[in-house]
Amino acid sequence: MDAALIPEGAKRCSFPKFMLGIAIVGAVLLWGVYAMLLCWFKGLNQTNMNDYYGFALWIWADLAVIAVGGGAFFTGLLKYIFKVDELKNIINFAVIIGFICYSSALLILAIDIGQPLRGWFIFWHANVHSMLTEVAFCLSAYFAVLTIEFIPNVLENRQLNKVPFFHHLAHNMHGVMAIFAATGAFLSFFHQGSLGGVAGVLYGRPFAVREGLLIWPWTFFLFTWSAAAFGPCFTLLVTRITEAVTGKKLVKDNVVHLLAKISGWMIFTYIIAKIIDTIYWATVTAPSLGFELSHFYTGNSFYGYWILITEVIICGLIPGLLLINKSTRENPTLRLVAIILGVIGVSLNRWVMVLQVMAVPVMPFDTWALYIPSWQEVATTILPVAYGIILIAVTYRYLPVFPQERELNQSKAQES
Amino acid sequence: MIQDKKAHMFGMVIDLDKCTGCGSCTVSCMAENNIPFKEDESNKKDSLTWMRVYKVSNGKSFPDTQTAYLPRPCQHCGGKGDHGHSPCVTVCPATATDYGYDTGIVSQIYTRCFGCRYCMAACPYHARYFNWWDPVWPEGMEKYLSPNVSPRMRGVVEKCSFCYHRYQLAREQAYYNETDEIAEDAYQTACTTACPAGAIIFGDLNNPSHKIHQIVKPDPHPDPLNHDVVRKSRNPKVFRLLERLGTNPKVYYMSEREWIRKLGDSYLNGEWEKVKNHYGSASHD
Amino acid sequence: MKVDRRSFLGLGLGAVAGIAISPVGAKLTDDSSIWTQNWPWTPVPPDGKISYDQSVCTLCPGTCGIKVRKIDNRPVKIEGRDSFPVNNGGACLHGIAGIQYLYDPSRVKTPLKKNNGRFEPISWEDAISLLAKRLGKIRENQSPDTLACITDTDLGSVAGLFRHFMAAFGSPNHVTMPTLESWLALTAQTLHGSGHTLGFDLDNADFILSFGAGFIEGWGSPVACFKANASRKKRDAKLYQIEPRLSTTAAAADRWIPINPGTQADLAMAMCGILLQENLFDPEFATGFKGGLNRFNAMVQQKYPLEQVAATTGISAADIKKTAIAFAKAKMPVAIPGKGRGNGAQSLKEFAAVHTLNCLTGNINKKGGTFVKPVHNYLAFPDPVQDTVARKGRARKKIAASVQELVTKVNQSDEPVVDTLFVYNANPCYTLNEPMQAVKAFEKIPFVVSFSSFMDETALSSDMILPVSTFLERFEDVPSKAGLASSVVGLTSPVVDPVFNTRSPGDALIRLAKACGGTIAQSFEWDNYETCLKNLVPGIWKALSRDGYALVLQASPTGRVETDFAFLADNPPTIQLQGDFDLTLVPIDNMRVISTVPASSPFAIKTVSDRVIKNKDIFVEINPQTAKGFKNGGFVTLTTPAGSAKVRLDFNEGIMPGVIGMVEGLGHWFDNKYVSGKGVNVHELISPVIEPGSGLDAASGIKARISKA
Repeated sequence: MDAALIPEGAKRCSFPKFMLGIAIVGAVLLWGVYAMLLCWFKGLNQTNMNDYYGFALWIWADLAVIAVGGGAFFTGLLKYIFKVDELKNIINFAVIIGFICYSSALLILAIDIGQPLRGWFIFWHANVHSMLTEVAFCLSAYFAVLTIEFIPNVLENRQLNKVPFFHHLAHNMHGVMAIFAATGAFLSFFHQGSLGGVAGVLYGRPFAVREGLLIWPWTFFLFTWSAAAFGPCFTLLVTRITEAVTGKKLVKDNVVHLLAKISGWMIFTYIIAKIIDTIYWATVTAPSLGFELSHFYTGNSFYGYWILITEVIICGLIPGLLLINKSTRENPTLRLVAIILGVIGVSLNRWVMVLQVMAVPVMPFDTWALYIPSWQEVATTILPVAYGIILIAVTYRYLPVFPQERELNQSKAQES
Repeated sequence: MIQDKKAHMFGMVIDLDKCTGCGSCTVSCMAENNIPFKEDESNKKDSLTWMRVYKVSNGKSFPDTQTAYLPRPCQHCGGKGDHGHSPCVTVCPATATDYGYDTGIVSQIYTRCFGCRYCMAACPYHARYFNWWDPVWPEGMEKYLSPNVSPRMRGVVEKCSFCYHRYQLAREQAYYNETDEIAEDAYQTACTTACPAGAIIFGDLNNPSHKIHQIVKPDPHPDPLNHDVVRKSRNPKVFRLLERLGTNPKVYYMSEREWIRKLGDSYLNGEWEKVKNHYGSASHD
Repeated sequence: MKVDRRSFLGLGLGAVAGIAISPVGAKLTDDSSIWTQNWPWTPVPPDGKISYDQSVCTLCPGTCGIKVRKIDNRPVKIEGRDSFPVNNGGACLHGIAGIQYLYDPSRVKTPLKKNNGRFEPISWEDAISLLAKRLGKIRENQSPDTLACITDTDLGSVAGLFRHFMAAFGSPNHVTMPTLESWLALTAQTLHGSGHTLGFDLDNADFILSFGAGFIEGWGSPVACFKANASRKKRDAKLYQIEPRLSTTAAAADRWIPINPGTQADLAMAMCGILLQENLFDPEFATGFKGGLNRFNAMVQQKYPLEQVAATTGISAADIKKTAIAFAKAKMPVAIPGKGRGNGAQSLKEFAAVHTLNCLTGNINKKGGTFVKPVHNYLAFPDPVQDTVARKGRARKKIAASVQELVTKVNQSDEPVVDTLFVYNANPCYTLNEPMQAVKAFEKIPFVVSFSSFMDETALSSDMILPVSTFLERFEDVPSKAGLASSVVGLTSPVVDPVFNTRSPGDALIRLAKACGGTIAQSFEWDNYETCLKNLVPGIWKALSRDGYALVLQASPTGRVETDFAFLADNPPTIQLQGDFDLTLVPIDNMRVISTVPASSPFAIKTVSDRVIKNKDIFVEINPQTAKGFKNGGFVTLTTPAGSAKVRLDFNEGIMPGVIGMVEGLGHWFDNKYVSGKGVNVHELISPVIEPGSGLDAASGIKARISKA
């Protein structure tokens, strides 16, 4: 039925089967849209946020999707600037994932703010001292860059590509993509960093505050580094999932191994920096404000040392080592374990830097504040996941996302 | 237009030994500033209370336990080094909250705020409140609303303004009287005038003739142990909340009771004993 | 020209591009944000001319002067009035929230008559004539004494008009609610003869020995007490607080002496014994002692030996002695009675014993002491005109001496002892111990008329409601009471026209009297309440209308007064707590919650701690030692002989082991979502116990237990 749109030589499931899948995920999407409309029309009282939790699940989701979406800028950087040419086989997908992550982040922000219709005041009345202003500018600009990076891939659709103008546009855009990749990397460096800065500059919150370099707290650099480190993990994870769902091999192992290796080294170096940062904060910064480390991890029913150990060791050091080591990296199961742990680790880091910051009492007579999101928050957080699945399904079906797909699957057909 | 000769620095000192926790300040603030109320206000984490009164305890068991009350308005922080970079002001992406260098008051522009709540995350005093709901008054009750303070729409952050509208009225009055001085009693916050115990004293920390200046005796020099901290009180009974963070609040507290003063900040083991007699910056060895 | 799909596509794209680069988008974006800044459902208060009115708050017995800020004619804010002899600036939270009462959702907006269990609006004319007809029948039946009346107090012209009405009508059955003032007056009457009351010069006293008085929690005139407390540090005046829990007063005191609930009277008796034994009483003042000081002395030495009282009260003998001696040796000691706010169930023995301590020190009618004051009689009521029916009815025996007793009598008797009942400014169906008994009695009484501003529990249990204006909408004289040292009358004046179809209670009563006709009408010849008030206070009207207050006693009383020991020398029994459970439930008076009339305002309820009310559940204070096996914050069933309730536990180191404290003034069940349906009314868990000496309910607690909910 839609055969004319499907990339040449690619095998896709039947249209009704495809639509059934889309309908199922679409139902989840609609649930999220319903929750979103509730939040817009009835206000944020639909959430379980409160005056202690001004930042909660959504801000975590924002930070997490941007962190894992970091695969796009970092892969772009490697491919176009450092000329790691093998990565061309995964760059399209990395860009799509990045596009999904960043558009989701913007959508969540639009739900999260109390006055969405005034959201543009962040640009109009910008306060240059605010990390959030920096985030808003870089995020929007980088989203534009991602869109530009995405367009050529869209134009390669079989039908669109028949239009000469689109064909040439796509070709020429590929030619200048290095400039955009560079711009993207630059912007990403800043907004990933500013997102880290969001917590790090809170000098009223001893759990979050970090010293740093000039105006940038250490979390600024840690966030950028961790996004670059764990972003590729997420790209690999989604690729792996897509391969599992489609039942096809889409990216050659050498590409995967390369990206995994780079990711491994990035994680390893990041985690060393993170450990140094944690030790310095725990032994110098916090005590200088009167806080023992134990203050942040005891006296409540949820936040214990386990969260620190899980984030840094189990979901940081371990995946880093697994990906650095050739034998474990090239073992599909262990690699999968490593990238899953990595994605959890970076998400947990973002959770800690948002939610635990809110939870820790600062005034000596204040108490721990714990929070459970409302279904509206959960639904609106799942909304981008559903949207992402649909976008990946559609792009995979109609666009030549994976350059190696034909080759890999032809050879497979020949073998059998 | 009149020009103030010298910048004001409005502040407050609250005598915790006089405070009875009666709640007059809270209610006076709510009535003065058109703060709404809802059916259930027992969740104190979403209850708009610009002036919240905390009950604090020395943590000992019966019968040695002691309690006291601690009213907490917005602390109107001067920020690190008192340069006006309050925790909340620096983070607001839309300049909807600002530091008044002529008054020391941290303002909030409700119509500019778009509700990102970053300022709330920044404030360790929980002095900032979000309008989770549309403000609704029972039928007819909106008739008591004051025109001096606009009711806030849903989706924005609000907080204590040190009754800034009263400052504006006092300034207008001074202009009308052709004087450039605002008398101490011409500008007083609603909580100050309401307090039946007279526990709250409000005035200009920069003006040596004001009672608050005489009680607090703010030290203009930075604390030698922490250069972010300035305006430390030279009165041994006076302290500020979370002074060590370098927020430099303009709300001071006073108590004869050591355990209450200790509750003002966090201390590592044994630290309190070393610093409890430090006041001002001159008293350090 | 060929029009095909492609042209449409082109046209569409062109239009989109055109709109995108036109200012329309920017304009819409801007307009939408301007719209959010001016949402039509967010009120914009109209501006206007600022003015200030002066008045007096009547929400509690405190008699504070208030200043009402108005914009045009809208009252917008209440603040304390400067240079008012009671509060002198400053106001309590309830007074400041006072304007909320004008528009309170539970206000009665028009006269109501209950038909078949449902209230229906009725005009004032119809209501008054219907009531007059009913009252006429009572008198035709020669039984005017079956009209009963409950008022909050017997002071002031409004209570006076009710009394006047009852006299003209011919019924002796006018009872008042127990308040701190009524207890003080009863104490003064018992020890110094009738016509007296007590006032305490707490501004100057240098040692305040409080037997559980919530000195800074609503006892007496709250703002005056706050000020007296605030000046203690400067004056070096000590405050010792004796009560089972670390109340706010106890926390602010120089010493908190925990005492077993219900044993304050014994402690005071023992302390009297120490003062007498140690010769620490004032010999000069003692010359005025009569009624058997020696008998009293012998009795206390015998019945209240130190060791025994130490065991009863839980305070060490040494501590009792030390405290008594410190008190006696102070220059200006004052002992104050009245647990919590001092209203409701209290004990005359306790009041008398505590005041006897004052008498023994001799610090009576002196600066910084206790004043035995003559009750103000600034009201010049004419004699009521009575016909034979009235005279006969008036001479009949009173059905009851107290509201509690009235309720019991009505419930116990098979005959209808009361035909018609007036209730003014009182809520016995909520404030009495076992209030459901009052509800039952009110159902049994054929016709209950509530003169009320609010649809509270008692109004709900009535057959007719005559809605009265709030204190912001009417005139009223307000005599100082509740232990104030000064004798002032304040004037409440209307700051706004009645918001609803309500009348001043005085006006309602005058119209009713006129409708009754005959001698009753003759007794009420005033045109309206305002002229009535002017006529009643000829001596002070000028000052009242000019200054808003008048001093009725220019100076504090001086000189010796006689003290009669007869009552105490007989050693009246101490009221024992009912039940045989292990724990004791006591009510807590919390400054932020009103426990009488009117109920708390929405603002006041908003300030209540989440360790008192969370969602709809009430917390009870309990020492963690006592609550072993239970969870802090967990639900339990609290059971007393009177009933049981589901409550949450607040582990609190500031309450004696074995004691459970529950805040009074919650658990309302009338219709007001901001105030009602929150928690439990502690009085529903306490059974009344009548104290023989006073004939009044003295149950200030009850035995209780907790079990898994």
